[in-house]
Amino acid sequence: MLDEPKQPLVRVDNLKMHFPIFGGLLRRRTGEVKAVDGISFDIFEGETLGLVGESGCGKSTVGRSVLRLYEVTDGSVTIDGRDIAHAPPEELRQMRTQMQMIFQDPQASLNPRMKVSEIIAEPLREHHAGTATERRQRVLELMDQVGLNRDFANRYPHEFSGGQRQRIGIARALALNPKFIVCDEPIAALDVSIQAQVVNLLEELQNELGLTYLFISHDLSMVRHIADRVAVMYLGRIVELAPRDALYDDPLHPYTKALLSAVPEPDPAIEEKVERIILTGDVPSPSNPPQGCNFCTRCPAVMDICKRDEPEFREVQPGRFVACHHFNDII
Amino acid sequence: MPDGPAPVQEPVLDVRSLKTVFKTRSGEVHAVNDVSFDVRPGELLGVVGESGSGKSVTMMSLIGLLPSPPADIRGGQVLFDGNDLLATDAETLRKVRGGRIGFVFQDPMTSLNPVFNVGFQIMEPLRRHMGMTKAQARLRACELLELVGIPDASRRLKDYPHQFSGGMRQRVMIAIALACDPKVLIADEPTTALDVTIQAQIIELVKDLREKLGMAIIWITHDLGVIAGIADRVMVMYAGQVVEQAPTRELFGNPQHPYTRALLETIPTVRGARPEKLNVIQGQPPILGAAPSACPFRDRCAFRFDRCDRENPVRIPAGPGHDAACFYDFNTGGPRGA
Repeated sequence: MLDEPKQPLVRVDNLKMHFPIFGGLLRRRTGEVKAVDGISFDIFEGETLGLVGESGCGKSTVGRSVLRLYEVTDGSVTIDGRDIAHAPPEELRQMRTQMQMIFQDPQASLNPRMKVSEIIAEPLREHHAGTATERRQRVLELMDQVGLNRDFANRYPHEFSGGQRQRIGIARALALNPKFIVCDEPIAALDVSIQAQVVNLLEELQNELGLTYLFISHDLSMVRHIADRVAVMYLGRIVELAPRDALYDDPLHPYTKALLSAVPEPDPAIEEKVERIILTGDVPSPSNPPQGCNFCTRCPAVMDICKRDEPEFREVQPGRFVACHHFNDII
Repeated sequence: MPDGPAPVQEPVLDVRSLKTVFKTRSGEVHAVNDVSFDVRPGELLGVVGESGSGKSVTMMSLIGLLPSPPADIRGGQVLFDGNDLLATDAETLRKVRGGRIGFVFQDPMTSLNPVFNVGFQIMEPLRRHMGMTKAQARLRACELLELVGIPDASRRLKDYPHQFSGGMRQRVMIAIALACDPKVLIADEPTTALDVTIQAQIIELVKDLREKLGMAIIWITHDLGVIAGIADRVMVMYAGQVVEQAPTRELFGNPQHPYTRALLETIPTVRGARPEKLNVIQGQPPILGAAPSACPFRDRCAFRFDRCDRENPVRIPAGPGHDAACFYDFNTGGPRGA
């Protein structure tokens, strides 16, 4: 870790991503799914920001919107000082070399008809980087870097195990020397003994290459391991954002508390002492979120104001942001 | 949770030397190799292992849920209710399945039929196995939905699976599994498809139901955290074999197989110490082309010695109610029996 103050590499400001719902005989627009509804955060150079939440909370949509794989509804995303959300197509294309993505399912994100070497070389070809020989050399380098045997360059994805396939995905993401990588559930499809291998690889690459990660996951224990700061999402909004240790040792938002308490502990002695907050009910639909605070329908500490006014997302301690009416008096 | 030795009771389910092989175009796959275990009445047995370790195939084999071909059960006995389920006729097996042995599968959406309402699906085993009339079955279905914590049960009987959320669907699955008052409930990764907060709800529900109903439960999972909180006894599977088996506290506190140890060291947690770097189990599980003639974990093992290459270890007692299939003795720091 560096001691000098870091610059934000990625700035996300009031990002909104609403998907239209069409219905009725004339397929008219009848509503919208507010997948991401006004979130803001920074990611500093060289850090890993963990983004956690349950399925359907919008965390993957954030990852895709940040890279402009979707045209965002509102808000801005600045990467390395350039506004990506509104960049014209050609400029966007050039900016894409700086930012890459690693997907959840290595089976689905690798073309089964392409050889590994072709898959890894594809970004290089697409962006006209180097001659054919140089590209070939770069592919082999990348394979070394992610721990794939060079001899397998001419094999197809199905000949590899899940963990190795994820390494291919990582090599492809690294091909153009990006600064920023969105990792969208990169280990969710892998077995426990393989997860640690991939996470350690991601950490080593970060140290070597100074990469910045947005690490999206539902696995709270893995995020605790890899992230420097963590943002917790619920129903399209960030409810809490804090440095990792602060968040795990002393969660402030009632949802974060419940979420952390629900994680089972692989040690019976500790597990016995865990005080669980069992949330009742299910997550409301993002097409029809509740009035006031999004969490008010399930919150164990709900107050009258929560059902009326939306809580503001504010800094309640240095570096700690929370959106909860319980922290209104604290400045 | 009681951790001491359980009172001596006849096992309700006793599996001995089960062997299951799949025949594929590219040769045989020995998915289950000589698996033996038992479950006692009211006990919760946790089965842990990675994908491909044979935990699901073991459970499917013992109640005849695997299509043959490709599956071929090459040997073993499954003693339940005075019968050997592997030797019994299809009719008896059908009565056992969904009757005295209930099931909950991982994904509640694919295991519920989307074109029938849940009332029909809960009433089906009641009418088939218990010979209930429609009216009786409806009454019981209503009770069952209330038992698993679904509000407004009588109205929800008419709803279809897609009208329920993931957690609620899993509750419906549990209601169906419990319909005929089973002696054994087999739950195959019942919370893996669910979010943590919903998983916590289902775990609470199962703990509660177990106290009320007293059936034995076999809970299959890859999540050691879930097991730590719920199981009385844990069985660890690797490459189609049981490599270690012990009471829960003993297994987590004093693991005796290198795989169990490595697994416990590799998983990060949300509480307690946070290591700077995660421990890694190098390599990958073996492909089971033939019944192993040497220890299947040897290529990934830090304690390997020459005997491991020659022989496949059988389970050796390592403490009260505790056994492990390993030639290395962690207590003496050398080969076992040396």
